[in-house]
Amino acid sequence: MSVATIPCGDLRAIVGAGFFLEGDGLEAYRLGGKRPQAVLLPADEEELSKILALAWEEDLGVVPWGGGCHQAIGYPPNRYDLALDLGRLNRVLAHEPADMTATAQAGIRMGDLQRQLGEHGQFLPLDVSMPERATLGGTLATRLTGPLRCRYGTARDLILGVRVAHADGTITKGGAKVVKNATAYDVTKLYLGSHGTLGIILEATFRLYPRPEVERGWWLAAPDLATAQALANRILGSHLVPNRVELAEEVAGRACGVSGPGLVVSISGLPETVEGQLVDLRGMAGEFGVAPTELGDTATTGKALGDFPWSNAGSGGQGLQALWRAGVPPADCAKASQAIREATPRGVVTAMAATVANGALRGVFRAEMLGALVQSLAAAREALVSLGGYLVVMALPEAARDGVDVWGTPPEGLSVMRRLKAAFDPKGILSPGRFVGGI
Amino acid sequence: MPVVGFPFFIGTGFIMKGSRIAPEIRARLIQACERIVGAEGVVADPDELRVYDCDAFTFLHRCPPDLVVLPTSTSQVAEVVRLCCELGVPFLPRGAGTGLSGGATPLAGGVIIVLTRMTRILDLDLPNRLATVEAGCVNLWLTKAAERHGLFYAPDPASQPACTIGGNVGHNAGGPHCLKYGVTTNHVLGATVVLPDGEVVRLGGKVSDAPGYDLVGVFTGAEGTLGICTEVTVRLMPQPEAVKTILAVFRTIEEASNSVSGVIARGIIPVAMELIDRETIKAVEANVKAGYPMDAGAVLLIELEGPRAEIEAEAVSVEGVCRQQGCLDVRVARSEEERALLWKGRKEIAGSFSRIAHHYYLQDAVVPRTKLPQVLREIEEIGARYGIKIANVAHAGDGNVHPMICVDRDVPGCEERAMQAGSEIMRRCIEAGGTVTGEHGIGLDKREYLRFMYSPADLAVMHRVRAVFDPAGLCNPGKIFPEEDERSAAGDSSHRGSAVSTS
Repeated sequence: MSVATIPCGDLRAIVGAGFFLEGDGLEAYRLGGKRPQAVLLPADEEELSKILALAWEEDLGVVPWGGGCHQAIGYPPNRYDLALDLGRLNRVLAHEPADMTATAQAGIRMGDLQRQLGEHGQFLPLDVSMPERATLGGTLATRLTGPLRCRYGTARDLILGVRVAHADGTITKGGAKVVKNATAYDVTKLYLGSHGTLGIILEATFRLYPRPEVERGWWLAAPDLATAQALANRILGSHLVPNRVELAEEVAGRACGVSGPGLVVSISGLPETVEGQLVDLRGMAGEFGVAPTELGDTATTGKALGDFPWSNAGSGGQGLQALWRAGVPPADCAKASQAIREATPRGVVTAMAATVANGALRGVFRAEMLGALVQSLAAAREALVSLGGYLVVMALPEAARDGVDVWGTPPEGLSVMRRLKAAFDPKGILSPGRFVGGI
Repeated sequence: MPVVGFPFFIGTGFIMKGSRIAPEIRARLIQACERIVGAEGVVADPDELRVYDCDAFTFLHRCPPDLVVLPTSTSQVAEVVRLCCELGVPFLPRGAGTGLSGGATPLAGGVIIVLTRMTRILDLDLPNRLATVEAGCVNLWLTKAAERHGLFYAPDPASQPACTIGGNVGHNAGGPHCLKYGVTTNHVLGATVVLPDGEVVRLGGKVSDAPGYDLVGVFTGAEGTLGICTEVTVRLMPQPEAVKTILAVFRTIEEASNSVSGVIARGIIPVAMELIDRETIKAVEANVKAGYPMDAGAVLLIELEGPRAEIEAEAVSVEGVCRQQGCLDVRVARSEEERALLWKGRKEIAGSFSRIAHHYYLQDAVVPRTKLPQVLREIEEIGARYGIKIANVAHAGDGNVHPMICVDRDVPGCEERAMQAGSEIMRRCIEAGGTVTGEHGIGLDKREYLRFMYSPADLAVMHRVRAVFDPAGLCNPGKIFPEEDERSAAGDSSHRGSAVSTS
């Protein structure tokens, strides 16, 4: 790959010398072994737009950068000239507590965002892992989810509109700032989960929820995963409104402070309503011979589950590790976990948890040998595909990349996706080659 | 009439006639379609085609298609689409034709692919709480089928007994109960789509968050301009433990809308919060006697669903908010009959209006919830200024207003004034930070308003999407986007506002 010459002087002039990084400053922005030629931290939309216009002109590969904590996901960029760090676009632009909506810039850390919204007793229920590092923009670009999606949905359901910078620096909006909108195409959906390949999300407007008065959680230890799944199906098909129903096998359970296999169920609301639901929860658990044990600190357990498997908690020792997420039909989470465990070779440590309502699994494999790790990923993927699911490798040792296709078999509609990419970014400068099918 | 500046849609009925494709092409189409779907699935008789000259947006623009085809399978839909592509004939999908913005009305002929022979529930997947249905499956049938198993399908547009799931996907349909549960897009996980070139793709499915762009997300609400969905996989929800329906009676519409904001600000999300104003109450009571007090300035119909203890507590808060706003009375339905009666009033609004007006323009816009009092006041002022009766109903919890602008066509100039009032209302809503449609869609009706919400650059992005899916521009041409932006020049820019005839 030939390396483009970047117009350092012009780029530096846009952001000012202090926000143009070269040399050692680039180390933290490494992706798949590659360093960018420069990192820019624009102060505002206008600077960011100018940078992109210049990159477009000069045909430079640009990767948007938030907290950097989930950048391992995807293929390494096939051109990586500039990293565009959105860390200075970090303000809450509007918060209308009575409307329960807010607008914030993409570079704000999720933790900071939640604290500011919390001043009015509200929150954005996107419990992405590592909220003190992860940014709003990165959370939306990766469309990662956490256990709270069980009650509140995902970015798809919560984001009302976005402002986006396109490959040539043009800035457009999609959606609106109201909670209901059927006005022309919902282009916002395209940017969510697109890993920065169609445009760079600059700000987002989202619906908020009130912080519950109380939240209580229980560990429902089950004799085996199949029982845990059956109990989860019972709960999710009932009138209960849990905010988390997480299935954890033993290793993941230990990592999150419970001893598996079983379910973590939490319910939030007014004290008396939570108590009422607990009575019913006990009854349902009893049908399966399971007794709920109240968690000492539901928020901490919830956060541990949200951070898993990125947290590295419970790592038994050294060695190599691969993080993955997977999807199966919701009622097949236990089956999938068992199939994965059976498929992985001896000596590979496996930890898995699942947000049952959505069939969203995630986990980690740890192995001493690279070959065993690669073999585990392939075998797990095969097992999931046979259940109608998929597996995405989120992070793995660089040396394993050659043997593993992190995205797996492209989905149906790939040709449409390729044409979308070509229409949005004809020169292919945005996160080039990082996404599904090498988009 | 070229549209200059903000559109004041003035016009009279405009019916396009005749075939716009060459007779020999039409003959080939008929022959080939009969081969694909059988003679019983092809409508070619000009009189019968007139049935399809508009959807529930019945005003001003009507145009019969050149041909109607009723396939019974995805592969038949794909074959018909490929045929249209080959012959360069425009085509569009249609479900029950209950849309309120002209999405299923041909702009200038072409083939309508009607999905009402594809009505099966293919898979009621109870363990996963999902259903896969054919596009022509009626919304209410799905809920009825799910009900037996303690589940339901949440989006509930007013046309629920007739409208199809495929049409709901096309317009991203809402309904009164969407306040808590979300609109169609929040419930669709997958779709089998016949792309505008005839290729069949299965987008999404039973499994969430598969890698790739969210094509299901952008397809939903695209009003049939990005392809035709033939099968849809949707999420079903467990039925709540308890329901509580409350009627709060107010002296003024302002008190009622302030109460809406007050309830939301307390963090309570009812399943529905319907605001009904004095004019509407009068019409409804004259028709169905739902028990709305005739001397009220407005009522709020509030429904809470959830665990019993939770809604009991919420009901107390809701009542407190309403009392604080000075409401005259709060009534809780004590039986299923009382509840049904309260809802009957809401559901019969459209029918009731025929008692007070020959025609009405039904508008649909959304404003931030806190702007409701201001916007409703402005709508009242606009009505007074134009000397036109405007009744208001709103899915108030969402800020979704549905002003009904009464039109008496026998009074000279009334229709024009009604159109102008409608335009001004749209402008007010946009200025208040809202959007021009919450659930009815753009269709033919609101194309010109798009520019007031979106810049040319914003719209260019949408055109890009359109061109990716439908480079030939044959799939439901002329919908959503301002006409001169679309290649299909049907030469008709004289359409306007959303009107429903009640006579």
